[in-house]
Amino acid sequence: MKLYDYILSPSCYKIRLMAAILGIKLDIRPVDFHPGAEHREPELLALNPAGSIPILEDGDLVLTESSAILAYLAAGNAPEWLGTGTPEETARVQQWLSFSHRLTANLGGARLHEMLLRPGNIEILQAQGISALRELEASLFEQQLRGMRFLASNRATIADIACFPYVALAPDGGISLDPYPTIRLWLRAIRSIDGFIEMPGIHRLHELKPDPHPAKEER
Amino acid sequence: MPSDTAGSWMPVALSADLPPATVMPAWTPAGSIALWRSQSGRASASSDRCPHRGMRLSHGFVRGEALSCIYHGWSYSPAGGCVRIPAHPDLVPPETIRVAVQTVEELDGVIWVAAGQPAAQPPRLGDLIPLRSLTAEAGIEEIEAVAGAKANADGLISVADYPWVRLLPTPQGDRTLVHVLIEQSRGIEDRVAASRIAEALRRRVEARQKEAA
Amino acid sequence: MMKAGAMIDEWYPVGLFSRLTETGNKTALMGEPIEVARAQDGSARVTSGNGRKLPVRVRYGHVWSSLGNPVKELFAIPEADQPGRRFVDVGVVRVRCSPLRAVENFLDIAHFPFVHTDILGAEPHTEVENYKVEIREDEDEVWATQVKFYQPQAAKSATGGITTEYMYRVPAPTCSVLYKTCPPRPGEWDVITLFVQPLAEDLCDVWPWMALFDDETPMTDLIHFQQMIFLQDRSILENQIPALLPLDPGMEIPTRADLTSVAYRRWLKRHNYTYGAQLVAQ
Repeated sequence: MKLYDYILSPSCYKIRLMAAILGIKLDIRPVDFHPGAEHREPELLALNPAGSIPILEDGDLVLTESSAILAYLAAGNAPEWLGTGTPEETARVQQWLSFSHRLTANLGGARLHEMLLRPGNIEILQAQGISALRELEASLFEQQLRGMRFLASNRATIADIACFPYVALAPDGGISLDPYPTIRLWLRAIRSIDGFIEMPGIHRLHELKPDPHPAKEER
Repeated sequence: MPSDTAGSWMPVALSADLPPATVMPAWTPAGSIALWRSQSGRASASSDRCPHRGMRLSHGFVRGEALSCIYHGWSYSPAGGCVRIPAHPDLVPPETIRVAVQTVEELDGVIWVAAGQPAAQPPRLGDLIPLRSLTAEAGIEEIEAVAGAKANADGLISVADYPWVRLLPTPQGDRTLVHVLIEQSRGIEDRVAASRIAEALRRRVEARQKEAA
Repeated sequence: MMKAGAMIDEWYPVGLFSRLTETGNKTALMGEPIEVARAQDGSARVTSGNGRKLPVRVRYGHVWSSLGNPVKELFAIPEADQPGRRFVDVGVVRVRCSPLRAVENFLDIAHFPFVHTDILGAEPHTEVENYKVEIREDEDEVWATQVKFYQPQAAKSATGGITTEYMYRVPAPTCSVLYKTCPPRPGEWDVITLFVQPLAEDLCDVWPWMALFDDETPMTDLIHFQQMIFLQDRSILENQIPALLPLDPGMEIPTRADLTSVAYRRWLKRHNYTYGAQLVAQ
C-alpha cells in the first residue's frame, strides 16, 4: 500500500497514525506540498483531480479521502475500529467523520493561514474553529456520562482518529485548547494508545516512560 | 468568589479533570498556573513559567512527584524547587532555581487556589456535585443577568427554572470560568440536561455581550 | 519601528528566489510592508510600501533585503561553494515569536531528547558535555565548537545512532549556521541554516536552508525532514514568556549547557540588536 504523504499534513497523518496502530506497513511517497505545490502538478492531478492529499494506492485501488482511507484500513485489518456495528454506533461514527471534514476546513484552514501563509479569513476560521471545539467538548462530556471515553463508543474508532489531528494542532492556527478539559483528556487517551505515533507539533507523552535519572532529593 | 478580609478562594478546576500524573493550565489573579497532580494524587499550583527559558510549564509532563518542563526537562517538586536538570544529570540544582507555588485546597471535587491568606476553608457544596467546566467570553454580571440571580455568599448562582442546577463562576479577566454543579441524586439524563442548559445559557450570555459591545 | 535600532541596517531573507513571481508577494520587514517580485529581466526586486527601491541580494536560494543601508556584505558560507553540494530550499514557516527567540532555539541542544525525541536525541542520553564558545572579534560572529550530542537519527542520511559533532555560528542577528557531522562524508560538514525574517517583534517568517553532501536521499525527503524538526520547535517558540528575548540577566537562568545562548544574548546587547528583545531598563 502506497501513501502519497506530506509530513506536515494532519489528514495524511490520520492514515500514518491508523497504520501504525494497526501494524500496517505503508510505502510512503513524499509529496512536496510546501513549498513545491507538487499536489497540483500533472502527475498527482492525474491520480487525484481534486488536487488533495492523502492518496492511497493499493494495487488498482486509488482512494482519495482520508475518511475513506481510514475505513478501508479498518475494514480490511481491524473492523472493531469501525464500531461494534449497532445502528447507533455506526451513525455516530459517520457523524464524527463528517464533523472531521469541518475541522479540516476551520481548524485546518486557520493553521494553513497562520503557519504556511495560505489565504483565508482568519477571524472567521478561528471563530468557526472555537464553535467546533465547544461542540466536541460538550459531546465528549455527554459520552463520558454514558460511560464512553471516545466519540462513538467506549473504545476508539476511526471517528476519533479522524478528529484527533486537527484538534491537537488547533494551537498552530492560534486557537487555544486551554478552555477544554474534556478534550484534553480525550487527546491524552488517544496519545496513550499502543502503537501511537506523533506528528510534528504533537509531542511525545514523556510521562509514559519512567524517569531514567530519578531526582536525588525533594526540595 | 468566596472571600474574607484576609484572602479568597478561586475554584480553578474540577478534580475529575486532573487525573494523577497530569498537568493543565489555569488562571489566577496572581498569574497563570500549571495545575498538576503527582502520581500519588497530590495537587499543586506552580507558576506557569519555567525560569530556564520561560516555557509554559502547563505544556510539560508529570513523572512521580515532580512536574517537568517540555523544553529541556527541568523538573520541579510540589514545593517549587528544581530537583533535576537533565543536561547535567549529576548536578544538584541550586536552591535559587524554583517556581512560585500557590496554596491549593481540594474539596468536594473542586480544586481551589488561595489568593492572599483566607482565614476560612473554601465553601462546602452540600449535596451538590460538580459536573463540568466551561468558559464564557463575558463577565459575571452578564451571567447573573441571564441566569436570573446574583451569586450568593458561597459564590453560587441559581438558574431560573432549574433549581437542581447551580453555577460556580470564577472571573478570569475578560472571560468567566463557570463550573456547572448539580444535585447529587440526579441521574444521567438530568446531568445531560444540565450540561445543555449551561451551553444554552452561555450562548445567550455571549450574544448579549456581543450586542453590548 | 523606532525599536529597530542597529538592526535596521542588516540583511534579512524575504523570499525564495525560485518561487518569485512577476505579480510579486506582499510581506513585511520590522513592521514595514514590502513587496518582493521578479523583474522582467529575471532579477529580484524589493520595494517598500511607498515604492522606494530597497537593496537586494540573491544568495543561498533566497532573496535578501534591508530597510536601511547595510555596511557589510551578506555573510559568507564558503561550504556553499563546494562542488557536490546539494542545496535544499526548505520553505517558509511563520511563527508567532520573537525572531531572536527563533535563533536562540536553533542554537540549543539540551532540548533534543524532549522536543525531537528519538530523532535528534533520546533519554537517557540527556547530558550536555562542555563545549567551546567565543565571540570571534575579527568576523564579529558568535561561534560554538566541539559541541557533541548522541543522536538516534541525526540526519536523513544516517543509518543508526551516532555521536554527532556540531559547530554553531551566528553571523547576523537573525541568522544562524549549523555545521554538523556528515554521515556519507566523514571529515566534511553538512550545513544547515536558519534565516529569520522579522515581521514584527513577536512575529517572524523562518526560512531554513541546507547545503549537504547527500546524493542518495530524494529532495522531498530532505525538505520534509527539516520541516519536521522545525515544526517540533514551533509550539515551544509560541509558548515562551516573555515573548521578547530578555537580554538582561534575572528573568531567565542559564546553565553550562546554555553557553551559546548566553554569548548570543551578550553579543546582541553589545551591538544594540534589540528588535525582538527586552531590556530591564525599559
